[in-house]
Amino acid sequence: MLKNSVLRFFGASFAKKSRFLAGVAVPSLLAGLLVGCATPPSQSDTADYQAYIQQNDPLEPTNRVFYSVNDKIDRYALKPVAEGYVHITTQPIRNHVSDFVTNISEPGRLIYFMFGGKPRDAGTSLVRFLVDSTIGIGGIFDPATALGYPETDTDFGLTLAEWGVPAGPYLYLPVFGPSGARDVLYLPAAYFLTPIEAAPSSTALTVFSYSETGLRLVNTRAEYIDPIDQIEATALDPYATFRSLYRQQRASQLQLIDQRDTPTVPDWYPQPAQK
Amino acid sequence: MIFRRFILGAVAGLPMLAAVSAAQAQVAPDAAKAFIAQSGQQLVTIVNGNAAPAQKADELRQLVDQIVAVDQVGDYVLGRYKNVATPDEHSKFLALFHQLLSYNITYQIKAYQGITFTVNGSSVMGSDTIVDTTITRPGQAAADVGWAVDEVDGAPKIVDVIVAGTSLRITTRNDYASVVTSHGGQVSALLTAMQTLIDRHKAAN
Repeated sequence: MLKNSVLRFFGASFAKKSRFLAGVAVPSLLAGLLVGCATPPSQSDTADYQAYIQQNDPLEPTNRVFYSVNDKIDRYALKPVAEGYVHITTQPIRNHVSDFVTNISEPGRLIYFMFGGKPRDAGTSLVRFLVDSTIGIGGIFDPATALGYPETDTDFGLTLAEWGVPAGPYLYLPVFGPSGARDVLYLPAAYFLTPIEAAPSSTALTVFSYSETGLRLVNTRAEYIDPIDQIEATALDPYATFRSLYRQQRASQLQLIDQRDTPTVPDWYPQPAQK
Repeated sequence: MIFRRFILGAVAGLPMLAAVSAAQAQVAPDAAKAFIAQSGQQLVTIVNGNAAPAQKADELRQLVDQIVAVDQVGDYVLGRYKNVATPDEHSKFLALFHQLLSYNITYQIKAYQGITFTVNGSSVMGSDTIVDTTITRPGQAAADVGWAVDEVDGAPKIVDVIVAGTSLRITTRNDYASVVTSHGGQVSALLTAMQTLIDRHKAAN
């Protein structure tokens, strides 16, 4: 059965999944890696060499090829569909779609947080999934946030980061977009950690899986129409801009996870006597 | 959901993208909050006004010059390559940078009609004072934007735009550094790329 997995687009968790795509993407990636690596500048060129190290993008020539391919796919297929989608929907509808697909990913986050040793974040994910799936009518609404349980995004790449695994070189994957040597391991994990995977196989489930994946993809792309247009119009090197945003956003996600997992003393716990 | 707010916020802050400065004194949180509230109100008044787009762009450019440490912007974005650039390249870079900032503002002005600006709070983070705001546009999700404020030449100025922990000055710096690096460390290549982008904007308008 074809399965969903997650496409990273512009640093966001969005999108895609199918064994077919994985079957195409992985050989393409491996072939691409053989094509070319960036030539590091001489260490005597201090400024240039420091910039090279900071970018940590030794496969840049290959990454740029995949960026170009993805850009064409987006320009001629995904973006026109997203624009049509925006034309026939309103922002509140798109918000509810976003809430719905976010809720489906919540059990996966619960497991990632547990593996990452983040019990408070894991508890939040559990509460969010229970509340939004019931009171929120299957996740179409997000009452959990209003109750004080906002979403904290995570994935297996961030779990590995919690374990101390470094980010590694930057990778721009065919179809899947920005990633890294550590974060790419997120894909196989996301492949299995969905409620859809746990449910018994059926035709209806397959149809639902494809529909959810397509809707997630188009809805997320629709939200980025203006931002991506503006970055492409104003950046000198959009590839480098997206790379920078991706790296900063990952670091920020990690920081947010740690901030929200701060342990506190429960109200019911005996407080020390005041002297 | 969170990332959507991040990226929309990132773009909402782009008119002030170049906001950076060199070493400055810290601004008290309340003073920074008042400064951003006033600046935001001026921004909203201009963007939502009835003036022609060209006039709005001019007014916005003047506002940016007043509230952003624009003179220091180029140097931060140029980063380590400031030491590589010749004096002539450096001065040309600053001129192009100002020009590019103006065109970026003009490009984005249409997208901000109906904008609202709410100041939430302020806090000290490192050497900066960060003022948290929420920016909304009709038909768009709300965006949380943080404004880093420092005292420059005795007055508070915006030195960075931060969205979900992501600094736009760092993003711009990396963008520019990539151009220089991919051309063997030649600052002249950056100047050419900037001029090309400006020419493209001119042709489009």
